[in-house]
Amino acid sequence: MFTLGIDIGSTTSKCVLLKDGTHIVAQALVDAGIGTEGPEEAFQSILAQSGLSPEEITRKTATGYGRTRWQGADNEISELTAHALGCHFLIPEARTVIDIGGQDAKVISLDEKGRMSGFVMNDKCAAGTGRFLEVMAGILKLEVDQLGDLAAQSVQPVNISSTCTVFAESEVISQLANGADRADVVAGICQSVAGRVAALAKRAGVRQQVCMSGGVARNRGVREALSQALEVPVVWSPMAQMAGALGAALHAWQKCGKPT
Amino acid sequence: MSVQEILKTFQDIAANPRAQMDRCLAQGDKVVLTAPVYTPEAIIHAMGLVPFGVWGADLTLRKSKEYFPAFICSIMQSVLELGINDTYKGASAIVIPSLCDSLKCLGENWKYAVPSIPFIPMTYPQNRNNDVGRAFTKAGYERVIADLEKATGASFREDRLGKSLEIYNRHNAVMRLVDKTLTAHPEVTAAQRSAVYKSAWFMRKEEHTALVMDLLDALNDAQPGAEKVKVMTSGILCDSPALLEIFDDLGFQIACDDVAAESRQYRTDVPKGLAPLDALCEQFARMNDCSVLYDVEKHRAQLIVDTAQARGAKGVVVVLTKFCDPEEFDYPIIKKACDAAGLPVLLVEVDRQMANFEQARTALETFRDVIS
Repeated sequence: MFTLGIDIGSTTSKCVLLKDGTHIVAQALVDAGIGTEGPEEAFQSILAQSGLSPEEITRKTATGYGRTRWQGADNEISELTAHALGCHFLIPEARTVIDIGGQDAKVISLDEKGRMSGFVMNDKCAAGTGRFLEVMAGILKLEVDQLGDLAAQSVQPVNISSTCTVFAESEVISQLANGADRADVVAGICQSVAGRVAALAKRAGVRQQVCMSGGVARNRGVREALSQALEVPVVWSPMAQMAGALGAALHAWQKCGKPT
Repeated sequence: MSVQEILKTFQDIAANPRAQMDRCLAQGDKVVLTAPVYTPEAIIHAMGLVPFGVWGADLTLRKSKEYFPAFICSIMQSVLELGINDTYKGASAIVIPSLCDSLKCLGENWKYAVPSIPFIPMTYPQNRNNDVGRAFTKAGYERVIADLEKATGASFREDRLGKSLEIYNRHNAVMRLVDKTLTAHPEVTAAQRSAVYKSAWFMRKEEHTALVMDLLDALNDAQPGAEKVKVMTSGILCDSPALLEIFDDLGFQIACDDVAAESRQYRTDVPKGLAPLDALCEQFARMNDCSVLYDVEKHRAQLIVDTAQARGAKGVVVVLTKFCDPEEFDYPIIKKACDAAGLPVLLVEVDRQMANFEQARTALETFRDVIS
């Protein structure tokens, strides 16, 4: 039996096709999210990769902020529920999941069976989110994916405000005008995101294993800064960005009466 | 009338306060606005005036920003915005209590921003449950009476207050009963439940009591609907149609509440056996379990736990009005008490200017997954 999960975020669309709730058959990531052709493109990519027709997929579950907009879904679930399921599948030891998405950050507490026991979300603010990193990367004329490696070269990270993206932008420009090293500025940016998210995580309660989910998990600078701020190791899966879509596919499988 | 017909009446009144006010004015009645959280409505009622609750509205704030800083309660800001926009035109006065710092600012700003509607302050004591506190409250009520007489030309008589207190006690009892009855009726939506409470602010209490009694009769004859996920709400206000729609969409039933604009209003009756004005002071002295009422013990947290458990609520949704510091101070205490009782808590921040509730939807949807 095939089930599909689609995670429609603010900046990207992700799709995962699962066979029998255990085997990942296909996955697709498109850099276009809500209000674009991205979701459909990701879905068509899955069909092309698997050679399946839409009818051969028993159930399709949507998640992410655009979850209610995709007509192909049989049901929808919140991205927190999806990331909890996806992370438990990828890292069964995970008890705290930190998902930094394009426009918000969430911390999810899991019990031993992978069930959500609590969660917190950030308030309406870009600080501590993927959007913050995008804005900062834009100022530095870098791609977001370059931030992690550059941060690793830092000797003395500069201090960037963790309270407001707009003010932090001015701070970054001031630091560059004062001749600060780009790597130190990038490391400061990563620490800023980590500081904000660590405070959120402490509100939820930090239990090991701490696992990062979502696209920002790929950023080594943020991962390491988060680990320092929380004083615990922070693990991640190379599939972290797909964890929401994977969780949605797992949920679809469960809905078919096949608990994983 | 059927349950749905009566609920529709409540919803029409709750959604059209201006029409309700115009009706009063057309009958020759004088309307006195009453600001949150507790105002001596019975005094206004006893003087033959119509008390009319003002808890603001969901709207974009523009002119009120000339008077308030950015980070202050949007309920207060929207009350002033509506005042400046002449939405309350025709009202004879507004009584604004001093129960939080934002309310104090509202009163002072109102004097300058809305000079056409006289501002009457009601200054309450922090330590209300002792002789000095009672005397302070009484002095505050006497000031309200004197100012009302001046603003409206109406006169105050204590025997009339006694009759009004009976009407208000009766209303309290009926509201407590409907609150319990609605727990057993999941078919009544969150939006409909809210309208039962909200309409009370725009109706004479004897009229609201009669309509609630009709609802109780109809509910007693009705078959309860299918079970939903029961939750308790807590906060200052929970009347946003967009937010309530999310509760309904996601299959929640608000089984009980600790909301200032709802059940908190009806917990404490005016005691019998005292002179009417003293009895009204005694009622305030005995009131508790509210973020704006000083309480060293913070018994409110345990009340929330006990109520939620008694009504079968699987979790508590704290609907926190942004920048409401009394509620923000209470939140950690409530969270701790609920955690200790194994009662999940969700914090949803709202304000009067919110146009998009998608983050709240995600949080509530996830909360449903956690508790069900």
